[in-house]
Amino acid sequence: MAGTETKAIHLDPRTDLLLLVIANIVAFTYSARWIEFAVIGVLALLLLCCGCGKTAIKWILVFAGLVVIQYYVIPILPKIFVIMFSILTVYIRKLFPCLMIGALILKTTPVRFLIIALRKWHIPQKLIIPLSITLRYFPAIKEEHRHIRDAMKLRKIKGLERKMECMVVPLLMSATGTADELSAAAITRGIENPVPKTCIVDLRFHIQDYICLLVGCAFIVAANIAH
Amino acid sequence: MVDIEQVDFSYHGEETHGSLHQINIQVKPGECVLLCGKSGCGKTTITKLINGLIPHFNDGDLSGKTIVDDMVVADTPMYRLSEKVGSVFQNPKSQFFNIDSDSELAFGLENNGVAPEIIRQQVDKTVQDLHIEHLLHRDIFSMSGGEKQTLAFASVYAMNPEIYVLDEPSANLDRASTLTLGEQLKYIKSQGKSIVIAEHRLYYLTDIIDRAVFIVDGKIVKEYSREEFLSLTDEERCRMGLRTLRQKNPPYSIISKEGGELEVRNLAVKDKKHTIFENISFSVSSGEILGVLGINGAGKTTLMRCLAGLLKEHSGQVLYHGKSMSPKERNAACYMIMQDVNHQLFGESVWNECELSRDDNITDAEIEKALTDFDLINFKDKHPMALSGGQKQRLAIVTGIVAGKKILIFDEPTSGLDYDHMCVVSQTLKDLAKLGHIVFVVTHDMEFLEITCDQVVQIGEQYFSGR
Repeated sequence: MAGTETKAIHLDPRTDLLLLVIANIVAFTYSARWIEFAVIGVLALLLLCCGCGKTAIKWILVFAGLVVIQYYVIPILPKIFVIMFSILTVYIRKLFPCLMIGALILKTTPVRFLIIALRKWHIPQKLIIPLSITLRYFPAIKEEHRHIRDAMKLRKIKGLERKMECMVVPLLMSATGTADELSAAAITRGIENPVPKTCIVDLRFHIQDYICLLVGCAFIVAANIAH
Repeated sequence: MVDIEQVDFSYHGEETHGSLHQINIQVKPGECVLLCGKSGCGKTTITKLINGLIPHFNDGDLSGKTIVDDMVVADTPMYRLSEKVGSVFQNPKSQFFNIDSDSELAFGLENNGVAPEIIRQQVDKTVQDLHIEHLLHRDIFSMSGGEKQTLAFASVYAMNPEIYVLDEPSANLDRASTLTLGEQLKYIKSQGKSIVIAEHRLYYLTDIIDRAVFIVDGKIVKEYSREEFLSLTDEERCRMGLRTLRQKNPPYSIISKEGGELEVRNLAVKDKKHTIFENISFSVSSGEILGVLGINGAGKTTLMRCLAGLLKEHSGQVLYHGKSMSPKERNAACYMIMQDVNHQLFGESVWNECELSRDDNITDAEIEKALTDFDLINFKDKHPMALSGGQKQRLAIVTGIVAGKKILIFDEPTSGLDYDHMCVVSQTLKDLAKLGHIVFVVTHDMEFLEITCDQVVQIGEQYFSGR
């Protein structure tokens, strides 16, 4: 074990969010192709270091596919398709770095850490509490959706409009019930306590966070010079 | 520790349901008091007096005084009470705020601004004391109902309250999880904590309670000491509308039967990675009720979904009169009454609900008859969501009948029901069987199983038995 230690790097969620901003800036300033390729390469490396090797390979392959389509397939397509496809590929390529960072966040950062990071940035509680409850609610909706879909299949409910209606009404009904029970449980656990909330997780910037942000800044500079 | 003096209460807009009259209850430190009685008798209301949800959360007319640990409940803010009183509720799904278990354990302490080192110690101690190592670092949405309820209990335990108030905590639990809950209660009692518990299921509490308070229509009818309560005869208990005091074991003789109308042969279902179950074989005929047993996560629901054609089998066959049925044919023949019937009522009125699902050759008169049989005809213009829980369940059954479905599948039809309501459901199932339906019922309610089912099939350590 000692020789083959492949311990994944953990990034602070704040770094993830900052990288997302940086990737946006770079994506919309660069002109040189080598910068784009470098960004993709570095992000793939980052994914690899964070223990998402498979994801890194997947993204690289998709990206390579896009490049191949753009340079080798599109020139031989009939004109109507050319416009359609070239817009598509160009924009997806622009978005690619953001998508990769998004994947990184989804794979490595628990929601709770994201919330804590936001709290550290002193984002007001009024935004954080609804956000965390919304995030808490998504999986619940997924669960209920499964049940309702089953029920509809047994009832032979047809037609998109009817299906939507049959989905929404029970979801709303159960949401009101859940909201009530959830708030009752929350106040019996002291959510109204006015003292500043403490947090068991200690988030801090480490060397890897600084390196990532430095590399990010370097890309911004490079992109602007190349521009 | 707890002193309820001459409390009267009624919810706004509700005259009788859950209201209280002249309630006096004292709970000494280290004592465990059971509140029992039929649904709607006011058990839950009393728990709310103690944990402060009345008057701080629920509106109503309140008189009298409740004192908890020298605090007058009505004059104490909820967060002060929450440091002394820990509450566990009925529904495991709606008690957690986080998506991962670690955050949930720390939630209460973080709210009260406890220093992180102390929280960490408390959480570690909780994990050790309650043996819940397996619940750490988990996605709560991947947990079974039993695990969720254990986690809810643990996160209250981490706050180290003096009084535990539990409101039907076992309503959605299987047998094993219920017994785990019993162990946990025994443990906190040994630490000298006070416990007030409102429950229908009683068998897991017999070792723990010191007193039982029997409530009818919001009045305390009698207080029993533990000995008095445990020596109630079955006849007296049934008359009081209480569930069994003795733990029922599932029947355990293995009989393999063949040649019924509906035969399942070596059925197996797999998802991408796992085998959910395999080698399931049994057979039933019309007029029979088959109970489906198994611990949480054993695949009972998957088996029923597969039977109903909502899932494709990996291997094996479902035969009807010797002819193999495709999932699509099964879907046409089966109907499922879900544990949460709110998921399957889509109509604008009771009548409309029936019309939505009626089979082409079912006449209005037949719908009317079905509604009359199930005591719903007087509500035919009401919105389904305005019905009570039992009425909704019966409406779901009627929609299955008027859809001309032969096979009816019930998923946990008795969770959280008192004795009388359970008997009603049992009778309903028997009536359906008499009408010539094949009835499946997934349950972990052994008392219900015993009086209802003709045969039992168990998923997991598979056995099949008949009588």
